[in-house]
Amino acid sequence: MNNETQKILTTDGIPLEESLKKAEKKNKIKAFLLVAPLLLFLIITYIFPIGEMFFRSVDDSMITKWLPKTFKTMEKWDGKELPEEKVFEAFYQDYKILVEEKEHGKLATQLNYEKNGFKSILKKLARKMKKFEEGNYKEQIMAVHKRWTQVEYWRAIKRRAPAYTYSKYLKGIDMYENEDGKIVQVPEDRRIHKILWMRTLNIALGVTILCFFMAYPIAHLLAILPMKYSNLLMICVLLPFWTSLLVRTASWMILLQQQGIVNDFFVLTGLVTDDNRPEMMYNKTGTFIAMTQILLPFMVLPLYSVMKTISPSLMRAGKSLGASPMIAFFKIYFPLTIPGIGAGCLLVFILAIGYYITPALVGGASGSLISNQIAFHMKSTLDWSFASAMGLMLLTGVLVVYWIYNKLVGIDNIKLG
Amino acid sequence: MGKLSRLLLIITFALSFTSSAFAVVIASWGGAYTESQKLGYGDPTAAALGVPVNWVDYAGGLSEIKAQKEAGAITWDIIDVYAMDTINGCDEGLFVEFDFDKDFPPAPDGTPASEDFFAPMPSKCAVGNILYSWNYAYNSEKIGSKKPKTIEDFFNTKKFPGKRAIYKTAQTNLEIALAADGIKPGKGGAKIYEALETEKGLKRALDKIKKLCTDPNGGCVFWNSGSQPPELLMSGEVVMATGWNGRFFNATVGEGAPIVQVWDAQGLDYEYFVLVKGHPNQADAMKALAMMTNTEMLAGSAKYIAYAPYRKSSIAIMEAGEPWYKDGKTNMVPHMPTAPGNTKNYFLVDPIYWADNGTEIGEKWEAMKAGL
Repeated sequence: MNNETQKILTTDGIPLEESLKKAEKKNKIKAFLLVAPLLLFLIITYIFPIGEMFFRSVDDSMITKWLPKTFKTMEKWDGKELPEEKVFEAFYQDYKILVEEKEHGKLATQLNYEKNGFKSILKKLARKMKKFEEGNYKEQIMAVHKRWTQVEYWRAIKRRAPAYTYSKYLKGIDMYENEDGKIVQVPEDRRIHKILWMRTLNIALGVTILCFFMAYPIAHLLAILPMKYSNLLMICVLLPFWTSLLVRTASWMILLQQQGIVNDFFVLTGLVTDDNRPEMMYNKTGTFIAMTQILLPFMVLPLYSVMKTISPSLMRAGKSLGASPMIAFFKIYFPLTIPGIGAGCLLVFILAIGYYITPALVGGASGSLISNQIAFHMKSTLDWSFASAMGLMLLTGVLVVYWIYNKLVGIDNIKLG
Repeated sequence: MGKLSRLLLIITFALSFTSSAFAVVIASWGGAYTESQKLGYGDPTAAALGVPVNWVDYAGGLSEIKAQKEAGAITWDIIDVYAMDTINGCDEGLFVEFDFDKDFPPAPDGTPASEDFFAPMPSKCAVGNILYSWNYAYNSEKIGSKKPKTIEDFFNTKKFPGKRAIYKTAQTNLEIALAADGIKPGKGGAKIYEALETEKGLKRALDKIKKLCTDPNGGCVFWNSGSQPPELLMSGEVVMATGWNGRFFNATVGEGAPIVQVWDAQGLDYEYFVLVKGHPNQADAMKALAMMTNTEMLAGSAKYIAYAPYRKSSIAIMEAGEPWYKDGKTNMVPHMPTAPGNTKNYFLVDPIYWADNGTEIGEKWEAMKAGL
């Protein structure tokens, strides 16, 4: 009785606490419903595909299903020398079923990813197998093609035995697991991915830095100029931004090639001689120039929106308190723009690291990046699991950058406007 | 997980599904090439069968059709693909397998289809439409008084200093490297591929390219779209460029550019049509495909572009109808990559070799390029 009276009641007799809870719950549901479409959108278009990508990159159960007997007999094989007759026989039986079900082409594709050269010998085997006699399969299979007598091909089959594998990730950094279970590097003339990773990182970082140094003054000018001029300048920033990426890349090619306008101008003004024109296209220089120009608006816009909010009176106050313009800039203005710098740099870096068309067109021999390699495996070899693995590695790289940024600057310190 | 992703893909493709359900949809490379296909045999076939034939552009590769298939929402009936893709797609079960003599009409003189084709198909799923050539060309106004004549000249930086434009991947580059290094191609280039099968031969080819690209008098520009080689030659960026003969032909005959093609150790390559398996419209598409690849229709496309029809019997129609080119004054047969004057020294690009070794060579090629 005492307790009852102590509780504050609302006008309709329900305790205030409960009534509040109810109202809050309603609000919470409302809030959730408001974000639900976005959440759903994110789950469907982002979280789920990434999960699927991860699954694709480690799943190898198909082959395990296709060659059950082979893998069973291979369990005891140490991989040092050619396997025994038992393995050959099991392989023959598995493969025969696959040929009957017309699934053998897929097996050939998969094994060809593991070791090149499987495609033709599996096809040849499918043709010749029809005339095989019973018994002594080892000799009969080995007679089909000399590659069947090489132990590496059998090791390659064995490597595909587990249903789940991280080998695609190893391949992404030019490593593989050898027959002793040790993780080693692939032969030197095939180490390509590490080079591409480093080059991608290098170009992404370089472009971000270039963009920053060029965008900062522009954004500052945009923020302090009177409306009349700043609008015009803004249009100058935005016009290229609205132009097609391909058009801009192609224009750079026309401008920068050896017989191009920029070089012609250099020769005309006597800066260089006619037979000594510098190469600015189809190499790293071209990639840097074109990518910096294309990504510049992504740096200018966040910087501008942050600078716009900085009151000019702050700088004035600093100066009136005795700071030189330099000190006032570094002590007052610059720290205030850090959220914009963070946003711009992250944006440009993340876009640059996955850039694709521009490096392919203007990069020349040294211009192909990791994204081009991913596209190659998506489109040509159809090795989607390897492409997924590399895509995830790229994503992880971006997340690491994000994490480092968070540690150094703090993610709350990011501002797009 | 699989079901949901299927659903997603279906939604995506349902959204991108724009073509009418009662038309045969053919995906091809676009540009002047698709134009020649459309005018040469697409439109006539549509008129004859009363079924609309629509062309859509794509950038090659099998990823799109594989995604359409996985989603169960196939929008393409027929695709124009490289030889290697017919093999890979056939293995993956994406395409219909043909019985050539039953599915395709014989030549006018009664020769069965399979014997009328210029070369056997790389897989059971492919039916050829054209042969094109990977050769090299130079700009006659910029090269100087000496003119390159052989494949060795392409690699001879002493006699012809200046940069070369070559294709961005290893395909056909390794072949010409060996041909220029003294290996006689043999029948259809068999000797070249025999050499490339060995580690030593492969290294020899890669080294030859590397030497050309690192030579201070030479150097390489890598092209990746067919329009680039003539442009690079015209701008003077390179002194010689490998490329597709149809593009060089268009630049020379179509636009009057001073570009000269060299046919020594040219690589004959093919384009194929494949029929996508499991489309509700498959019967119509098969009818259209059979008509488009008959003798007359294939000859029709050569009116618009310098690529050779895949059927030997088409050449006779062209010879009878010279000047065959659309401008009404250019004889087309001598410009065909299969013409006797152009095939004194040639190799057939081997799709099986590339399907087998493409990835590994691709890695070595990229590693070589990275070291330039």
